[in-house]
Amino acid sequence: MTETGGERVTRTHCPYCSLQCGMTLQKQGRTALEVLPWAEFPVNEGGLCRKGWTAAELRGHRERLTSPMIRDRATGELRAADWDEALDLIATKIQDLQGAHGADAVAIFGGGGLTNEKAYQLGKFARVALRTSQIDYNGRWCMSSAASAGNQAFGIDRGLPFPLADIEQADVVVLVGSNMAETMPPAARHLDRLRERGGKVVAVDPRKTPTADRADLFLQPVPGTDLALALGALHLIDAAGAVDEDYVAARTTGFDKVRRSVASWWPERVERVTGIHTDELRQLVELMTTNEKVVILTARGAEQHSQGTATVLGWINVALALGLPGKDNAGYGCLTGQGNGQGGREHGQKADQLPGYRMIDDPAAREHVAKVWGVTPESLPGKGKSAYELLESLGSAESGGGGGPRALLVFGSNIVVSAPRATHITARLESLDLLVVCDMVMSETAAFADVVLPVTQWAEESGTMTNLEGRVILREQATTPPAGVRSDLDVIAGLADRLGSPVPFGTDVEEIFAELGRASAGGKADYSGITYDRIRAEHGVFWPCPTQPDGTIHPGTPRMFADSFATPDGKARFLVVEHVGAAEQPDATFPLHLTTGRVLAQYQSGAQTRRVKSLPDDGPFVELHPMLANRIGAHDGDPVMVRTRRGEMKAPAKVVTTIRPDTVFIPFHWVGANRLTNDALDPSSRMPEFKVCAAEVTA
Amino acid sequence: MTSSRPDSAPRRLVIVGNGMAATRLVEELVARRATDTMQITVLGDEPNAPYNRILLSALLEGTHRPEALTLRCEEWYAEHGIDLRLGARVLEVERDLKDVMLVDGTIIEYDALVLATGSIPTLPPIRGLVRMDGSLHESVHAFRSLNDCERLLEAVSATDADGELVNRRAVVVGGGLLGLQVARALGARGIDTEIVEGADHLLSQQIGEAAGKILARDMKKLGVSVYTGARAIKLTDTSDAPSLAGTVKVLDPLPTNPGRVALRLDNGFTLDTDLVILTAGGKPSTALARRAGLDVRRGLVVDDRLASVTDPDIYALGDCVEHDGRVTGFVPPAWEQAGVLAGILCDESVKYDGSRIVARLRATDLDVAVLGDPEGEVLKGGDVVEMSNPVRGSHRKLVIRDGRIVAGALVGDLNRIGLITQHYDRQTVLGPTEPGDLLLVERSAKPVQLPDDAEVCNCAGVTAGAIRACTSFDDARETTRATTGCGGCSSAVRQLLAERSSLTPEGIK
Repeated sequence: MTETGGERVTRTHCPYCSLQCGMTLQKQGRTALEVLPWAEFPVNEGGLCRKGWTAAELRGHRERLTSPMIRDRATGELRAADWDEALDLIATKIQDLQGAHGADAVAIFGGGGLTNEKAYQLGKFARVALRTSQIDYNGRWCMSSAASAGNQAFGIDRGLPFPLADIEQADVVVLVGSNMAETMPPAARHLDRLRERGGKVVAVDPRKTPTADRADLFLQPVPGTDLALALGALHLIDAAGAVDEDYVAARTTGFDKVRRSVASWWPERVERVTGIHTDELRQLVELMTTNEKVVILTARGAEQHSQGTATVLGWINVALALGLPGKDNAGYGCLTGQGNGQGGREHGQKADQLPGYRMIDDPAAREHVAKVWGVTPESLPGKGKSAYELLESLGSAESGGGGGPRALLVFGSNIVVSAPRATHITARLESLDLLVVCDMVMSETAAFADVVLPVTQWAEESGTMTNLEGRVILREQATTPPAGVRSDLDVIAGLADRLGSPVPFGTDVEEIFAELGRASAGGKADYSGITYDRIRAEHGVFWPCPTQPDGTIHPGTPRMFADSFATPDGKARFLVVEHVGAAEQPDATFPLHLTTGRVLAQYQSGAQTRRVKSLPDDGPFVELHPMLANRIGAHDGDPVMVRTRRGEMKAPAKVVTTIRPDTVFIPFHWVGANRLTNDALDPSSRMPEFKVCAAEVTA
Repeated sequence: MTSSRPDSAPRRLVIVGNGMAATRLVEELVARRATDTMQITVLGDEPNAPYNRILLSALLEGTHRPEALTLRCEEWYAEHGIDLRLGARVLEVERDLKDVMLVDGTIIEYDALVLATGSIPTLPPIRGLVRMDGSLHESVHAFRSLNDCERLLEAVSATDADGELVNRRAVVVGGGLLGLQVARALGARGIDTEIVEGADHLLSQQIGEAAGKILARDMKKLGVSVYTGARAIKLTDTSDAPSLAGTVKVLDPLPTNPGRVALRLDNGFTLDTDLVILTAGGKPSTALARRAGLDVRRGLVVDDRLASVTDPDIYALGDCVEHDGRVTGFVPPAWEQAGVLAGILCDESVKYDGSRIVARLRATDLDVAVLGDPEGEVLKGGDVVEMSNPVRGSHRKLVIRDGRIVAGALVGDLNRIGLITQHYDRQTVLGPTEPGDLLLVERSAKPVQLPDDAEVCNCAGVTAGAIRACTSFDDARETTRATTGCGGCSSAVRQLLAERSSLTPEGIK
């Protein structure tokens, strides 16, 4: 923060999505902030969407929590309490529950919006202070399928293996299930530049979104069939003899089996499964095979499925067959969703991981991290349950729970809105002996808590984030938090102390970052060569960025895979994947596909954006095609009822020609959509099938 | 007499056939880890590893490389402990002994036998087609196997000493799906191609006359002549019969090349040609089943467990079977049967209850899709929603019963084909206007004058009115922040500012 004279200007980043747009905050008076462009930051070059421009409005909001709240046993209402009372109560309860039911009786649920420092401290807090294996986070519901696929195929998981701006210089960009023009608008500038250069954009989406409006070729598949499309594309690529045989031989393994497996995905079969005309599939393949520099990007549309990992692997197979990964301005990438979706998954917040993207069941990883933490490797718990499985297991069986942890500490997540099959999960939260929620406002989840802790928000604290490119950036504190509010890091430190943690937990972000660096050293996501000063000086630093044994400075790694992949043999792996389809298919009772997603003016569960006055909040709606509207007698603006096997909701119909007539869409920023969604999980990433289930709609 | 075997010994499953149905069955069995408890033997009479038969016409057309057709390599079978025997023709099934004998005398015992013998091409009654020794005339080609396809490819690319193509003309006998695909493929290769079809229009099994006529016109545009209502009756070598007195030479585009053979039609015409390709349909290959005493009508009769109604240890699937009075001849039903049969062989409680068929022509620039049995469903009382545009060359028909699409035939315009097949496959109950809407072209919205409250910049939430209030693009950028997000509204903002200035007298530059 620069606060010399009248300038009072801070270079920082937007609080929302994974683009982490650079922005300038200028202090107005004592605490107010104005958002101004930061033109030099290369990802967004001064551009912001309305969420970014209005981000400072949540500061000083009348709904901002400024005092811990404890649920009064007598009245059942939340009452204000002081911090010591709240933390003492939590610590005592945790000790009681762990004493009676073991260490795993307490669980932690984190978030992909937390800074790297918080994610790291949370993982360490779980394993060292609580000694519980039960920690996971909502990033599981974000890009975990792409993460799992990336690890399997490339041996490493970094959303984009190149800077986003690289796509401007590509010939063709294929977007599978990404609505970047609405979900990360400034990213779409790079698409526009690409098109100005004569490059082509392909969009694959069941809805003709504003992103699809920018596309030269738009494919509108049945929800849940992106994998069949990938198999069909590879079939035609092979049929045309367009496989880059030299690349495949030199840089990959496993192609022969994949080649055989796609022999049975001829275009007419693909058409029947995906609903995409054979001519359109041929056009896609023509674009991909007649151009050198092709970029394939997946996002939640392709990934949030019970076959999400397989779907991403299917598209990675296409990219590898064309010889793309590792070439300039070409390759495969995932457009991560949450602000720190990338960093949040690298530092130990995940049930099966330790910092540096190390696996918790790897003895060498345990030894390294335990040493940094000053504990013994044996003291570290093992693998816990994935996000949805963890939530499903909550609560003692006697009180209607799943027989798992009896206490849950929530940081940076609004489970009641964002979990699939939400009614069921909310009941699980209610069966807990102790629910603690750290948030800045009374979110739908906080409203169920036994203790609510008011925490600092963006701009009131510093910390690093890792954006969708694997670029580690620094959000700087721009103003002082309101009185009564503490950082998540203070909460962790305060609880660790009360729980008698064998090692102390600090709250100085730069020190925590340095420790995180040491813990990550030698791991896949190596941050050890990154410092706050370097981030400030270099517009962020791309991991891996190790400390060099010879003391020289590692430049960071903006582009990966040029020479080798992160697998033991350095080769990328082709993996055979078969299309199975959505776990729940339409039938006579539930004849439609329901898909969910985001709108431009809101972010995730809306806990923040729904409280920003300048952002329109018209509530949820049900998008449907005129043919379907006619069939059921619905009119634009009138309420319709949507039912699935798990729940129902009523919302106004929005009749549009841009959606498939066999599909309805509901945005998930409000309570409702996720009462309908399916909790079928991907076998590898444990991603729930948010993006498709069978539904009935009536007027 | 049954061979007595200890219970612990793995069950011996013998699959006769190595086509698409058999391959799928083996894949489904492997997916169920059946190889842990079963000893599987696959007997294929073709010399090749299994390949995608339905892409043979694409191979002929040149859109697919031959290697891309291979479904599974021999190593895959070995890896899964499956005994694959290629070039193994089965001579007899001994049901009493529960074994099969190959032509080379090898005897293989089974506990369960699967017949996946597929179909064999029908030979039309044309004199001179088959030589005295039973082989086909050298200019005559069947089109069923990879071997057939390779032989035809060789013939169409053969050149003489001067590098000229030896075979420049072809007659395709049979105007069904395969015939059209082959004719299109040959046409695309520059071969002068004609189709002879006995019925009065093309694809007579699937589509009505109006649609058939449109298709014939499409073929003509693609350089393929069509003779309908005419049957080929006699094939002669032109060298054998230099004089063809009394016959009429029709539409001979290459008078200098008399052709190597002459094909005489029953309407009196004779077509000079170099090649004759037989695509006049196939019939279930049931000789083996018949000899084994199994119940065979049109095909080998199976029950809902896909077992022969005569012998519960013998199963069958694919083109050779008759289920519920129907034989199919398409891959998707065979694959559905493969999934069900694998389940049955692994003791799952599943049964086969028929398949929905979508027949789709696989040939460049020919748009045909047939859902179910349109002619049959009309006879059963289905309502017909039809849209014909002979000017554009399209004819589309949906047959509706109880609000559901029960059949359809689409020629010349496959707009919304993906949606229509989804509704058909899922038997979606449609609204009364929906079948018609499905056949209409989606109207694109006309650009309108934006009202002041219409949002132009979604990123920053700026209305048209707010833009109109600005003096310049830069002004709009500064004061409203329009165009500063995704930048997608830049052209709309410029347009609004331009329109506004044209309305004001001083605005004219």
